[in-house]
Amino acid sequence: MFVTARPFSLLPHLPGGTPPDADAEAEADHPPLTDGGAAVAMVGKDCVAIACDLRLGLQALTVSNNFPKIFQYGDVFLGLTGLATDVATVSDLFRFKVNMYRLREERNIAPATFANLVSSSLYEKRFGPYFVSPVVAGLEPKTGKPFICGFDSIGCIDFAKDFIVSGTASEQLFGMCESLWEPDLGPEDLFETISQALLNAVDRDALSGWGAHVYIIEKDKVTKRLLKGRQD
Amino acid sequence: MDTLVARYSRPAAQRETFADDQHDDLHDDTTNSMSLKFAIPPIAQPSAWLRAATDDRANPQCPIKIAHGTTTLAFRFQGGIIVATDSRATAGNWIASQTVKKVIEINNCLLGTMAGGAADCQYWLAWLGMQCRLHELRHKRRISVAAASKILANLVYQYKGMGLSMGTMCAGVTKEEGPALYYIDSDGTRLAGNLFCVGSGQTFAYGVLDAEYRYDLSEEEALALGSRSILAATHRDAYSGGFINLYHVKEDGWVKHGFSDTNPIFWKTKLESGEFTNVTSDFVGERV
Amino acid sequence: MRGATVLKASDDKTRQLNKNTLMAYSGEAGDTVQFAEYIQANAQLYSMRNETDLSPSALANYVRGELATSLRSRKPYNVNLLLGGVDPITHKPSLFWLDYLASLAPVPYAAHGYAQYYCLSILDKHHSPGISLGEGIKLLEMCTDELKRRMPIDFKGMTVKAVTKNGIVDIEFNDDKIVKCA
Repeated sequence: MFVTARPFSLLPHLPGGTPPDADAEAEADHPPLTDGGAAVAMVGKDCVAIACDLRLGLQALTVSNNFPKIFQYGDVFLGLTGLATDVATVSDLFRFKVNMYRLREERNIAPATFANLVSSSLYEKRFGPYFVSPVVAGLEPKTGKPFICGFDSIGCIDFAKDFIVSGTASEQLFGMCESLWEPDLGPEDLFETISQALLNAVDRDALSGWGAHVYIIEKDKVTKRLLKGRQD
Repeated sequence: MDTLVARYSRPAAQRETFADDQHDDLHDDTTNSMSLKFAIPPIAQPSAWLRAATDDRANPQCPIKIAHGTTTLAFRFQGGIIVATDSRATAGNWIASQTVKKVIEINNCLLGTMAGGAADCQYWLAWLGMQCRLHELRHKRRISVAAASKILANLVYQYKGMGLSMGTMCAGVTKEEGPALYYIDSDGTRLAGNLFCVGSGQTFAYGVLDAEYRYDLSEEEALALGSRSILAATHRDAYSGGFINLYHVKEDGWVKHGFSDTNPIFWKTKLESGEFTNVTSDFVGERV
Repeated sequence: MRGATVLKASDDKTRQLNKNTLMAYSGEAGDTVQFAEYIQANAQLYSMRNETDLSPSALANYVRGELATSLRSRKPYNVNLLLGGVDPITHKPSLFWLDYLASLAPVPYAAHGYAQYYCLSILDKHHSPGISLGEGIKLLEMCTDELKRRMPIDFKGMTVKAVTKNGIVDIEFNDDKIVKCA
């Protein structure tokens, strides 16, 4: 993620200068682009939703249809798309960090705090990043205000008031969310909106889909639903 | 009739350059009538340039994305030939279409299937249809599947190394040959056989098909097996999916057996036959 | 295999981790056995120290962790694994698929390499969780038949083992049958 148009190369500087097309080459070799997966988070009225697909693939081959990409840490939810091994590594890492936080502070971590933890943890690996694009969703424990944000693979936080998308179907998800999302949706409407957005987006992406998980997070209730998606 | 045949057996681009009295040599020389004129980019290595611009496996950033990824199958059995395909077209990871017709009806007794470059297959199989019709007009009888497939194989061989990408099967039933099935690809391979699967999902289709294939399959069993093999491939191969296009070729022509969405078929297969146990079907919401 | 020569046709590419967990491996020569035996030693050390065996899922997650650490080291192990076991307490069988990138997936049936492309569709159609050992062997035979039929290499026979709640047993498997394309 750049704030201006590609001011410098993401690659470690090579002796003799970076080749002009190094960025394109680095992206071509980016493993997460071939692994598949999609995640999306949305804000509603006093609730948030987060959803992911279930595919684990090796390029064209679907290996498993039961690979959820959303992880719950107390009141906070983390969606991870990208390289499957890093999805597992990063989710385990945050489970450890959040458990340590809870032991030290004797309370659950708040979404905004967790977002900063994700950001700094990812930036620690600035020169050998985890190939993941995380999405965080939750309700602020004191105010009950919805919180969502997304990250690039080295920890730049993208705060949003409406929705966050990530994964191989992110372009399709942007299109679906831009047209379906509206402010102040109730939990049931939000569920319908996020489900339609995700299912229809992954139906146009070869590398994600094969079913989905949706979490609707309200003040004192979290509902998890398994969506029946196309299996091709 | 002969003048009519001659007129259409020449490519339109050449029409002005030949005088009328040259017709006879022309339509006897089949290779000449087959070499259509295509614009070649005015650069030193046109085929290398084209490859660099279109090969998205070697270079996902390539500027032109050609539709790829398919599962097609055809097999011979006692009742004729079953031809089945999926219907997905992808450009990179983008699903460009879920409703592609990958079975091309060359004429009412010949079918061609489409794998590889969509445009290449569509164009050349339509062209093959034209050649088959011309053969009928010239010789007053239907072309054999062997001859039709040879015309296509010779044509693609002329363009070898120029970047054509097609893997196709020609299926037809004629009096002389009985049910005949040929595989032709853009390398110039042409094979006769009982059973072929072509495309990125071929191995998955072979898996299901080989396990239960017999020549003496009944018509019903053969249709079910063809459809199930495509379903298997759409499930495991990301670049196959959409609808199952099913045909049965008999001596008096082909019969279409539907263009059916894989989604209801998948869930029906799973829930009624207990297959696809890797997919969960427990859809109850739960409170966390 | 070394260059174009088969060095040994009956190499056992599995290691037993504890009484009821078995790990099969493929990948780069050298890496495979080194990694598998490192895991085996640690699993056995755990069993000795704690006088109890780790469950298959605990072992799978341990193996994944080791492989993920190695992935970002100077010289990563290039090993693909299948880990199968029966839980010593619940007696539930489970199978885990792990590739050299340390992606872990619990699956009902699995394969690695080219075999995935031929066998998974067969297993999708013919597998069900309630099958007996005999039916399982028949299903395995369908898979090896297809590999013999379609794969352009000869994989020189199979080693077949079954993990049961009473331990690991070797299975006689007839792989001399010649299978031809239809």
